[in-house]
Amino acid sequence: MEHLIETIGRNMFAIFGVMALCGAAFMVASRSAVHSVLGFLFAMLCIAGCFLSLEAEFLGMAQILVYAGGIVVLFLFVVMLVEMSKKTEKEVFQLQSRYAVLVVLAGAAVFVGVFRKVIFGAASPDALVLRPELAKGLNVAQQNAQAVSRGLFADYLLPFEILSVILLVALVGAVVLAKTERV
Amino acid sequence: MPTPTLTQSIVITLIQCLLVVIFVFVVVPLTVFAERKVLGHLQQRLGSTRVASGHVGITGWMNRGMWKWGRIPVLSYWRGIPGLVADVLKLILKEDILPAKADKFVFFIAPALSMVAAVVVFAAVSFVPGVFFTFPAWFPFVGGLPVSGGIADINVGLLWILGVASVGVYGIVLAGWASNSKYPLLGGLRSAAQMVSYEVPLAMSLLAPVVLSASLNFGEMSARMATGLPFWGLVPQILGFLIYLTCGFAETNRLPFDMPEAENELVAGFHTEYSGMKFGFFYLAEYINMTVVAALASGFFLGGPWLLPFGLQGLVNPYIPAALSWFAEPHAIFFVVKIIFILFTYIWVRGTIPRYRYDQVMSVAWKYLIPMALFNLLLAAVVRCFAV
Repeated sequence: MEHLIETIGRNMFAIFGVMALCGAAFMVASRSAVHSVLGFLFAMLCIAGCFLSLEAEFLGMAQILVYAGGIVVLFLFVVMLVEMSKKTEKEVFQLQSRYAVLVVLAGAAVFVGVFRKVIFGAASPDALVLRPELAKGLNVAQQNAQAVSRGLFADYLLPFEILSVILLVALVGAVVLAKTERV
Repeated sequence: MPTPTLTQSIVITLIQCLLVVIFVFVVVPLTVFAERKVLGHLQQRLGSTRVASGHVGITGWMNRGMWKWGRIPVLSYWRGIPGLVADVLKLILKEDILPAKADKFVFFIAPALSMVAAVVVFAAVSFVPGVFFTFPAWFPFVGGLPVSGGIADINVGLLWILGVASVGVYGIVLAGWASNSKYPLLGGLRSAAQMVSYEVPLAMSLLAPVVLSASLNFGEMSARMATGLPFWGLVPQILGFLIYLTCGFAETNRLPFDMPEAENELVAGFHTEYSGMKFGFFYLAEYINMTVVAALASGFFLGGPWLLPFGLQGLVNPYIPAALSWFAEPHAIFFVVKIIFILFTYIWVRGTIPRYRYDQVMSVAWKYLIPMALFNLLLAAVVRCFAV
């Protein structure tokens, strides 16, 4: 019993990963757009589980809060508003499928290219690398919300602020588009 | 104190889950009953009295006696309690109807999603700091082991609560969509918009306690909010509590913000097509969500397991004499009493304030509550900067 539980606990990442893949496969394969959104939701929750099994509680919870609770709700909203009939849905999906395969392959290639060091290189012993003066008095493994905030607001402040400016640009763009359409 | 093995700790966690579920399933039916009674008295009637055992046995004798003695209906308040059992039986035994063109899978999963999202939030709620009780030595398998006052002591507990609670909106939206009917769809869409927009001020009003207590752990937050704040911490706490409570009413779809149901506009909103225990799940989820909001309000603003709300406990504690030290310590009973008080407030408000119009609901969220929550956050930051 003890041994079984320990084995399950050690392989939690793999379990959640396989579950997330299943959710993603369901998302791609299902005929109804709302079912796809449900598959997406399941995949997002399982990815949060992956983060949790890596002891990155903050990222896992942010994943649930932002993706499962915010973005997927918006997707669902849009899917329900832009309700397509079953037939047009099928046609659109068939039209897209061969491009989708190409895009997925290209995306996978880019992903492996960017993360090849992480995937094939030696495992990094540190959970999160902060500048030593920032990590002072902080147990990174236990307080990863604090560690992430120190990283964001001290080490990577400029990229973080630039990212938020990009989001602001997107927001302003959305407002402009909505306004011009109405006139 | 012995340390539990892995299996033992899992068993203890399961027992804690069972205790929380029992707590919820005791509180929820009593809230339903209290709602009937309190609403009745707010509207100058007696509330539910028909399904009663008040005519027979010792309670009937006491009831009649009190009435004869001075027209005092004190004990007859409890008449109607057997109606709860009748209600539950009705929900379980009723025919489970599936609309002809409904999406079967989604129709089935929607009530489950609502229910699960409502119950799972309690994982991060800590009822009392430290050890709640210790199993007696004769207890099989886990004898002599301590049980902590919360199921999971997560160091990002607040994010867990907000995240899981935000998953609850799927239940309502999917139920509205899967029913394949106009009114439920309208109710579902309304509620999606309402719940997503009220999540923003709700999360912002909870940021003030985060700033004041410098933690995301439920237990740590409630301890610091209750005992570790200076006098000026009162202001952001009281303002934050009012904002939080308003948003909580909207998040749980209660009057005055019950847009998803709004029975005179939408029949019964998203659960129009549901019957039997599937409807029962939505009904339960609504009341469990109310309990969750009450638990969070009492944990973050009303001092949690300490006696006094709004951080007054920390100010008063040095002056409490040693003989009364029981009142200076945290007890689970204080926490539960505060939860019950806020549940009563829910019913009180329901009987007092009429429903808002839909556009008013949205403008309250975006034009008033969000700026107020931001201002409150600023206040909390100022207090944190200069007074802590």
